[in-house]
Amino acid sequence: MKIHVNDVPLDVAPGTSVIDAVFAAGYDVPYFCSQEYMSPIGACRMCLARVGAPRKDRATGEWILDEATGDAKIFWFPNPMATCTTQVMEGMVVDTLSKEVKRAQNGMVEFTLVNHPLDCPTCDKGGACELQDRAYEYGTGESRFVFDKRHQEKHHALSEAITLDRERCIHCKRCVRYFEEVPGDEVLDFIERGGHTYIGTLEDGLPSPFSGNITDICPVGALLDSTSRFRGRNWEYHHTDTTSLDDPSGAALRIDARTGRIERIKAGLNDEVNKTWIDDGTRFGHEYADHADRITLPMVRKDGRLEPVAWSEAMRVVRDKLGGVDGTKVGVAIRADATLEEGVAAQALAAHLGTGRLDHAPRPAASVLPGGAPATLRDVATSDGLLVLGDPTHEAAIVDLRIKDALKGVPPADLLPHGVPIADLRLTERMPRKTEILTVVAPYRTDLMKHAGRTVTPPAGGEGALLRALLALAHARTEAQGASDPGKAADAALAGWDDAVGMSAADAAALLDALAAAEAPVLIWGGFVSADPDADAAARALATAVGAKTLILGPMANAAGLERIGVLPSHERYAYDPASSEVRAWILGDLDPAQDPTVAKRFADLDALIVHAAFENATTALADVVLPAVTGYEKEGSTLNAEGRLLPVRAAPVEAGAATDFTGVVKAYGEAAGERLEGRSVRSARRVLKKRLDVDLAELPDDGRLLPPAPAAARGARALPARRAATGSALVVPSLVRIEHLDRNPTLLREHGGPTLRMHPSDAHAHGLTRGEVVTVPVGGIPRRLVVAPDDGVPEGTWLVPTLPDQPVGLHPLDLDALRRERGETAEVA
Amino acid sequence: MSVLGIAKGMGVTLSHLFKKPVTVQYPEEKVDVQARFRGRHHLLRHPDTGLEKCIGCSLCAAACPAYAIYVEAAENDPDDPTSAGERYASIYEINMLRCIFCGFCEEACPTGAIVLGHEFELADFRYENFVYGKDDMLVGVKGSKWQRREAERAGRDVELGLAPSHRPELEGVDY
Repeated sequence: MKIHVNDVPLDVAPGTSVIDAVFAAGYDVPYFCSQEYMSPIGACRMCLARVGAPRKDRATGEWILDEATGDAKIFWFPNPMATCTTQVMEGMVVDTLSKEVKRAQNGMVEFTLVNHPLDCPTCDKGGACELQDRAYEYGTGESRFVFDKRHQEKHHALSEAITLDRERCIHCKRCVRYFEEVPGDEVLDFIERGGHTYIGTLEDGLPSPFSGNITDICPVGALLDSTSRFRGRNWEYHHTDTTSLDDPSGAALRIDARTGRIERIKAGLNDEVNKTWIDDGTRFGHEYADHADRITLPMVRKDGRLEPVAWSEAMRVVRDKLGGVDGTKVGVAIRADATLEEGVAAQALAAHLGTGRLDHAPRPAASVLPGGAPATLRDVATSDGLLVLGDPTHEAAIVDLRIKDALKGVPPADLLPHGVPIADLRLTERMPRKTEILTVVAPYRTDLMKHAGRTVTPPAGGEGALLRALLALAHARTEAQGASDPGKAADAALAGWDDAVGMSAADAAALLDALAAAEAPVLIWGGFVSADPDADAAARALATAVGAKTLILGPMANAAGLERIGVLPSHERYAYDPASSEVRAWILGDLDPAQDPTVAKRFADLDALIVHAAFENATTALADVVLPAVTGYEKEGSTLNAEGRLLPVRAAPVEAGAATDFTGVVKAYGEAAGERLEGRSVRSARRVLKKRLDVDLAELPDDGRLLPPAPAAARGARALPARRAATGSALVVPSLVRIEHLDRNPTLLREHGGPTLRMHPSDAHAHGLTRGEVVTVPVGGIPRRLVVAPDDGVPEGTWLVPTLPDQPVGLHPLDLDALRRERGETAEVA
Repeated sequence: MSVLGIAKGMGVTLSHLFKKPVTVQYPEEKVDVQARFRGRHHLLRHPDTGLEKCIGCSLCAAACPAYAIYVEAAENDPDDPTSAGERYASIYEINMLRCIFCGFCEEACPTGAIVLGHEFELADFRYENFVYGKDDMLVGVKGSKWQRREAERAGRDVELGLAPSHRPELEGVDY
């Protein structure tokens, strides 16, 4: 469509909004209410411009011509138009520069400022405020308003993590629309009318796992992140654009740090991954990195006590200790959110020691690398048939949002010269959602089930049986199609169906029909399926049978990457098992297996226990040498997210003494041992990875790069030997909030409450447990301190416990007889 | 150059022999400064409520061409506020070695909380003694860190080498 913006001729796609055409032409209009990835509504009336278009004669169908020039005559709209809600027309002319337009914009700025307080010096948004910038660019520069401004509540705690200043609100409605349109949790709305309008919620807090995003999109300082309240001014922060290592979705982050502290985390823009959204666990869960308890110096055990020493001395002790141990009896394990570079370093260290006992943990029993057709997050967002097994909201929160994108049925917009469209006119408020395309399977009621057309609740650990039954049915139906009487054969296929798997035969048939009818079906599964190799095999076979792409959500940020580059034992016999009696020495990266008293007992007679950790824990208490580790915010490296996208991880400037990542450990060890090990630095590890993956990780763009799936031959050579599924009555479930850091994240702890033990109310009643009571109960050997939270979404007989890095998702034994009540202690349950 | 020129020059010199000398016998004598003289900073309080004027907005630090100012803010306790408003400066430091006494901080301040005063005797011995915090600059504190240390050691009041002077912006400060 050919249009003119001021003097610039432009060819834009039909359906484009005028505001995007203006920006594409390189001009600017002010706006407050439009927001990328959200519906344009024209609430703020700021983006005014003069718009006109030629008209066709109704009778002849010819353009009406201007008699003077002979060109098509432009008919101007009688008033300036809100460009965000106006669609381009053939031959349209837009004027953003005339005096009339300036006057209109000027008037709107003045009108918006009428009730906006002038407390910019104390406002956390000051310096990064859209209203401040637009008032400077488009305002008159002086006030004619001599009356009292509207007075409302100045610091209303909308939730524990978000503070609302009602005086500053300009009613752009971004936050209200956000909750309905993006996570689909309608928890915020306008209350009252006109000048009295304010935003508020009827619930206690903001019960949505994605509430923090409203602090990013608020154009003024009305909605603020409480973790950074008054911590610094926007121009004082050091910005680091990096990737979240909190979960395997690989969301882009911007870390704002000042004087060696992380003050705030905001969402970064990655159109292919998280768009501009991140979950609350990622946003508010950073306070632990600045905690005073950080280990900042290496420590060596002398006379039973850990004494701080220099790196070189600590490493001499490590070398001497390991020198006395048979190399094959040393175990090396790093946490599954280590970067690829750290993985290379661990491999080099294991190779140097001559041990095959190398692993990353937690590592589920089955592979987390998709086989045949991997699905990208874009595939998820454009899918028309989704089968989700697990709880993506908590396993990889961004996947949850991309699934909700698919329900809208609007494919991601093409990028314009200025980036993501500011006003995508295909999006509207309260769009109908195609919930029928989504099927969610989980052994308890998950958040995503609210949005699913079909929900299936198999018994805990019953995913394997359900998937095998579905697979058998799919095969039987395929065969039935070739039979002489297809209808009868199909009925016969259904006859053997057992409803005990969690769904009825009719539902199963309908699900398979929906997947078969879908043009781009996607199968997503997480920890519950990966914990059981049989379920995993059935899921892969089912994906092949229905022609679906697959997305597997690993247990931690880089589980897929570490598996891909082969941070794996040489034989399944050598898989990470801290309770193993064969291992005489352990080198552990960020793991805390000694929470389990039996492991702690084993560790007491090890020849050497070397722990790389950021905080003291049960394992460092037993360690011979403790090495200071950096957190995921301070690492330089790269990670591979669930969809197989390599993403850059960059280090924020955080004061952490002599702490390093695992490459630093290997470097120091190499120096002590007189060897130059591969992976002794991020650069050296990247040289190795360039050879292996054929990607220069130093040159990785901000939005990452999809890594082609590993060739089948390479996978075969290092195929993961299957491990057996565990059993028990405690179902360890994924958690959006990192439980291991929760004690050191005060804001998140208040917002989220402590880690919960969830059970059916009747189970709670049977065991005399009351809501909010604090109990300690051994789960899979690890004593867990949990808050009792009865929940009728949990099936009877199943007890849900949030995961820890040392307690992977899946079934674990639960010893209810050993449950201990912490007398008199209670906690709020969110 | 002629003899006349020399005589003319010497004449100027000779004429000064009979004028009152401008030299001030500092430190025995006090020094007079101009009202607009820019010396050590004062952090002012509201005279009526006694609350600090500084709201910790950090605009002084942003305006400072020498990066001499460091501010950390915190939220006021509504029952026992430190400053008028929502936030106050929990840390306010000026590095007097870096400061070039340009007065930009004073111009940037939206509440008139920081004003450059007339005290000029800032010499000291150690680097850390040049970093002035809130305790060293809040109105009511007299003298530089070294002067106050010396006064405490000797058990007498701080004595400034400054003649009584006044600047209207220095609310509550009198030399």
